[in-house]
Amino acid sequence: MTVSTVGARAPRLTLRRRRQLAGALFALPAVALVIGLIAVPIGQAIYYSFTQWNGLTSTWIGPSTWTQAFHNPNLWTALENNAWLLLAVPFALGLPLLIAMLLHQRVIGWKIFRSIYFLPTAISWVVLGLVAERFFAFQGTLNSLIHFFGLSHVNTNMLGYESTALSALGITFVFTMIGTNTMLFLTGLATLDTSLEEAARIDGAGRWRIFRHITLPHLSRFIQLAFVMTVIALFSALFSLIFVMTGGGPGYATTTMEFLIYQTGFAQGDFGTAALYGLILFVLTAIVGIVQLRLIGSDE
Amino acid sequence: MGRGALFLVMVGVAVVMLYPFWVMIVDSLKSENQFLSGHGFSWASWRTLTSTIPIAQEVGSSTIICAVSILLILLVGLPAGFAFAKLKFRASGVIFLAIVSAMMVPLQAILMPEFVNITRLGLTGGYTGAVLVYAALGTPFSVFLFATYFRGVPDELIEAGIVDGLGYFGALWRLVVPVAIPAIATVTVLQFIQIWDDLLVGLLFIQNTSERPITVGLAVLAAGRTTSIPALMAGSLVSALPAMIVYLIFQRYLVKGLTMGIDR
Repeated sequence: MTVSTVGARAPRLTLRRRRQLAGALFALPAVALVIGLIAVPIGQAIYYSFTQWNGLTSTWIGPSTWTQAFHNPNLWTALENNAWLLLAVPFALGLPLLIAMLLHQRVIGWKIFRSIYFLPTAISWVVLGLVAERFFAFQGTLNSLIHFFGLSHVNTNMLGYESTALSALGITFVFTMIGTNTMLFLTGLATLDTSLEEAARIDGAGRWRIFRHITLPHLSRFIQLAFVMTVIALFSALFSLIFVMTGGGPGYATTTMEFLIYQTGFAQGDFGTAALYGLILFVLTAIVGIVQLRLIGSDE
Repeated sequence: MGRGALFLVMVGVAVVMLYPFWVMIVDSLKSENQFLSGHGFSWASWRTLTSTIPIAQEVGSSTIICAVSILLILLVGLPAGFAFAKLKFRASGVIFLAIVSAMMVPLQAILMPEFVNITRLGLTGGYTGAVLVYAALGTPFSVFLFATYFRGVPDELIEAGIVDGLGYFGALWRLVVPVAIPAIATVTVLQFIQIWDDLLVGLLFIQNTSERPITVGLAVLAAGRTTSIPALMAGSLVSALPAMIVYLIFQRYLVKGLTMGIDR
């Protein structure tokens, strides 16, 4: 009797436990990879940020490494460059929004135009950086354009001067983001209920009012997502562009946080300070990341 | 704005977006002298391309790195996504959130420890180090995407399979993977473009110049500023082709992946 009750109950219990065990086992490789190559390095970075470290030996220094780092003008230059580049974000969102609205009108051939507009998205930013360098070069397209419009005595060399190199980088960044953001906004517009717009038009609402009160609110989640993706790209994806276009110069004019980390670590061999800079970048992106998690979270 | 004017504006935007391709094509069709003088066209830079840039070897490296990394991301991400969606275990919610958060960690933030760890393990000779880093960076997003996708799969399908004696592994392989093909395509396309186009990982985690992927090869030549621009442009065009083809064929999967989580 007792044997059969145990026999009847035990399999059900083990079934639930087996399911959990299977789940844990299936998740294990992913968890291990993320812990080993992302979480552990974050911990190491925290430790090494308090040391003098050349990659081989590290000596504990303590919190003074941080005060020292914050007295380094290069750090402030890099942070300032990042802050200035934020001015590119409105353009990296506004232009794609405009382009998406144009595509949404669905004139003849809009699907071909869509493919063309998105095509640069597939190309490496290394290649786009190379092309941008040609565009801004002394004998490049920009000067040809200026001469074409009659200003034959004007010659620009935006990448050559500290005052203009960052702007050139920002313009290139806006170009590289157009495809992705247009794609996002177009997807958003496709989910818009056109009868709402029709109804508003019949009620006599103007284009601007329809855009302001119907289209824009509908797109808000897509705009938020594009904003977060754009800012994160700005903080962590410019490396390729900087590497081929300016190498961080002239001087430190185009050295952003991510490039400063690379330079400090690999050009100067100061691994400890580079790890510390990495943590600062980590905090900056974490702030943006929390916003993103909220966006995803509010959906569920 | 009339339809005609609208069409013209769209043509104008198209010209701007096609500009990189125009530059690459036109500049690659010049010899170095023709490029400097600004007159004439020739096949010179294309004919000497293989001697200027080890293009075949670099494309080969890129292909291997992409293929192995993506395979690893799928092998790790699929079962994990399935587990987080359908086989919940203790603390799986918190662990899932932690993995998704890892999506936000840029490589530069952990670059120094990562580089030292991989170097100490002796993985920078060959592709192993780079592949591991790409896999780790790609895993959080793929886990998120697969979990979101599998939540839409009815529980009954999996229950039935397990009761039928397939076991968990059998259910994953025979029932879950077949319905996950669109999600697999999305992850593959996104990661392919990401990895093919990446510079930083290939630059630092692959020590031998003879194993360099194409993007790194181009960037290093460009930064050195001794290679002729027509040759660089020809190489750029070659490097851009595979990603463009993948992109044009699988465009819709790309859009799906980008808007995952807010679009439904």
